[in-house]
Amino acid sequence: MTHRKGLDICLLGFLILSVGCVSLSEKTLVPGSPDDLPGCYAIFPAEPWESVYKLEATIRGGGSFSLLGVTKGEPSERRLQSLLLTPEGFILFDAELRGGEMAVRKAMAPFDSPAFAGGLMEDVSLLFLPPKDKPTGWEKKTEGTMICNWEGPDDSHTEVTGSMERGWRILRRDKYREVIKEVVLKGPFVNGLASRVELHAFEPTSYRLRMTLVQPSP
Amino acid sequence: MKKILFLIVLGTTALLSVAAAPAQDWTSLKEAFRNIRSVKAEFLQKRYLQILTKPLLSEGKLFFYAPDSLRWEYLSPLRSVMLQKRNTIQVYNFSEGAWKPEMTQAVESRRMVLAEISRWFQGRFDESKAFKQTYSPGPPARIILVPGEGINRFLQRIEIVLSVRPGVIDRVEIEEAGNSRTSIEFRNVVINSSIASGVFEKP
Repeated sequence: MTHRKGLDICLLGFLILSVGCVSLSEKTLVPGSPDDLPGCYAIFPAEPWESVYKLEATIRGGGSFSLLGVTKGEPSERRLQSLLLTPEGFILFDAELRGGEMAVRKAMAPFDSPAFAGGLMEDVSLLFLPPKDKPTGWEKKTEGTMICNWEGPDDSHTEVTGSMERGWRILRRDKYREVIKEVVLKGPFVNGLASRVELHAFEPTSYRLRMTLVQPSP
Repeated sequence: MKKILFLIVLGTTALLSVAAAPAQDWTSLKEAFRNIRSVKAEFLQKRYLQILTKPLLSEGKLFFYAPDSLRWEYLSPLRSVMLQKRNTIQVYNFSEGAWKPEMTQAVESRRMVLAEISRWFQGRFDESKAFKQTYSPGPPARIILVPGEGINRFLQRIEIVLSVRPGVIDRVEIEEAGNSRTSIEFRNVVINSSIASGVFEKP
């Protein structure tokens, strides 16, 4: 009986590890059909947009917080403005990213470190802006799933996989091809925005961010 | 900034228990305030931000029991509650299926703010050093709070619109610097009903 229970736990562990390993493996791609290329951008809003998400963050070590995240995007200018608000509606953080340059308008403790501002805007970019250059490889599977790879200027890699029907996953890899961030976007998609988002950062700081769409507009 | 705005929200609660009446003046306001034992209400908060075309809507409820017990609770989109009972302040956020106490620093800042607010609860509006108060008989009757030097960098004006029903206010308008404003509308206001003491002790 004890032996069987142990075996079950091992099997469960193996399954969990298997799912994690397979899902994070990298696929080498070459440029695919030009007709399929727009599919690589389907997850990123193309028109001006704004959103309110409920944020639940868990930082490795036990810390957690719940806030509201308000973001406005102007994709054509690669411009994003993000606010963090308390449940009462007080603005704790306000920063804008335009053409790669970040301007922090307001940052209150404990969100007042440059590292936090940089990390937050990097996460927002990963979620809502496609990498600047054209993908280095892409493929559309028969069932409609897209797989797209980008190489960044710092030798980082971004991989976007999925479809509007099944949801999407974005992986950011460092120059050693280790996954440093994983984002899962789940539908239904409202005005192109995912209803639920889970972001898991592995390096340099480990944290998990759950986002629930509260108010899409316009 | 957070302290100041929090003070405003809580100040609103104090003024919920201010009675409005024809030809009302500060003296009668203070007198009416003394007759209020408890307040229960629901509220709808509309947060107008320059970044958003539509206001951010939050709903909640509050409980006040004179002289110094308060529960100010947001139900959506984020669940959060601030509890005050005498000198004890507790703030909790509902996250991952459980109430979790907020960071100590934030609780401490609220404690300082409430020291100011406690004077309002006792009807000692004219003792506030943070705001200059003006009463306008209307109709509708209004109390206008204008912040002093320093605070006015963040906050321009607070306007409390009193209901014709004695002891009830309709809404509070908060104007901030930077074209942001907040409107809090109160509804289903119940005055002088019994409230269990546990309401102010646990989330």
